[in-house]
Amino acid sequence: MTEAVSVQNLCKSYHGKQVLNDLNLSVKPGTVFGLLGANGAGKSTTIECILGTKKPDCGTITLLGQNPERNRRELFQKIGVQFQEGDYQQEIKVWELCEETACLYQNPADWQKLCVQFGIGDKLKQPVKSLSGGERQRLFIVLALIPNPELVFLDELTTGLDAKARRGVWKTLEQLKTQGLTIFLTSHFMDEVEALCDEICILKKGSPVFFGTVEQAKQQCGCQRFEDAYLMLSDEEVEA
Amino acid sequence: MKRFFIFLKTELKLSIRDMNMVIFAVLMPLAIFIILGIIYGTQPAFEGASYTFLEQSFGAACAVSICASGLMGLPLAVSDCRERKVLKRFRVTPVSPAFILGVELAMYMVYCTVSLVSLAAVAALFWHVRLQGSLLAFLGSWLLTMVSTLSIGMMVGGIAKNSKQAGVIASVLYFPMLIFSGTTLPVEVMPQAMQKLVSLFPLTQGITLMKNTFLGIAQGNILLPVCVMLAVTAVCTAIAIHFFRWE
Repeated sequence: MTEAVSVQNLCKSYHGKQVLNDLNLSVKPGTVFGLLGANGAGKSTTIECILGTKKPDCGTITLLGQNPERNRRELFQKIGVQFQEGDYQQEIKVWELCEETACLYQNPADWQKLCVQFGIGDKLKQPVKSLSGGERQRLFIVLALIPNPELVFLDELTTGLDAKARRGVWKTLEQLKTQGLTIFLTSHFMDEVEALCDEICILKKGSPVFFGTVEQAKQQCGCQRFEDAYLMLSDEEVEA
Repeated sequence: MKRFFIFLKTELKLSIRDMNMVIFAVLMPLAIFIILGIIYGTQPAFEGASYTFLEQSFGAACAVSICASGLMGLPLAVSDCRERKVLKRFRVTPVSPAFILGVELAMYMVYCTVSLVSLAAVAALFWHVRLQGSLLAFLGSWLLTMVSTLSIGMMVGGIAKNSKQAGVIASVLYFPMLIFSGTTLPVEVMPQAMQKLVSLFPLTQGITLMKNTFLGIAQGNILLPVCVMLAVTAVCTAIAIHFFRWE
């Protein structure tokens, strides 16, 4: 397997409006890939089309060398997902949600350990709805890692987290990467992207405007800081 | 199998915390039966009958719980999961629609069983209600009624767009069946034309079958109700799984 994720000629439109336009992506195994772009650029739609929760209008998608539509159940044994908005049953408690998730997989990770690692080890008996936004965010990262995945999708992984918690998440993800995990993430924090991502793709109104490394992006724009390069490439630079 | 029970345990706990089904599927049928017991006591069903009014009503009381579980609880629970995007999360895990619906089915079977046991205990203890027919035949007809009604619920819950739509469909099914299929109003007192109409409800067939097997009355044509209910179960389950909506 030379690619963990392969997307070819992906397009998607809603009610006649083109949201994704001829998108090609490739993510190598054991790397961290960042999908960037402004709100509404099509990041979440891309993830949902790749995962099959939205049906693309055209294009070919391969995950871990397999067709996600045909081998859904087999494939999702090895894939973890964190959606942008966390969703859970109304009255469920943290440990119940973790247990229920873990039982779906053949070789689940130790979720109690993961909860401790992500700083919510003391919240296990609390209802999920009573957690703070940041705690819930971390819980959903834990849920995405419970499958012991080969590939994990993290949509806006650290939105709502404080600086310390973000660093904690980065550290854990870097550890997991050294163990061979492939990470596909979206983020609005350029320091995070710079710290974590091996390769990035910048989307602008559904079309890719850059594909490469953070360094290449900086070089291409002649910028010192990656955030400047990102703003220039995504054409979001605000007039001073 | 283990994951099925962990799932069932968690979903059942969540459902009990919510209390709705405890009230509608367990306490309500019990309350109805106790009221009937206080009114009719150990009176015979009619003059010269070999069984009491309560014995005649036992099957119908069981059906109240089946009706609440299958036509209210199950479709609303599944569509609520869909609306909260819990099903969307499950879609990116190895679970299948059949597994999710199977857990829901099992959960509401637990409610119906608890209701049956509590009704039987109260009926036997206070009003000496005795099963006059064969236990196997009664349990068989109870099981068939339950599974066929729950399968209707699975179909509604499996394919409804949102919980509002599921709620409307559930009410349209629940109230007519609760009122007209013999759970509360005996079929025998209805006009002929209406009797013919309500006999199309699987629940009507089920209640008649449960009543007859409980009382040990030989029924002329057992094949028809059994076939109706089996057909309903097969069709509804197939539709629920095949057209299952995750979102």
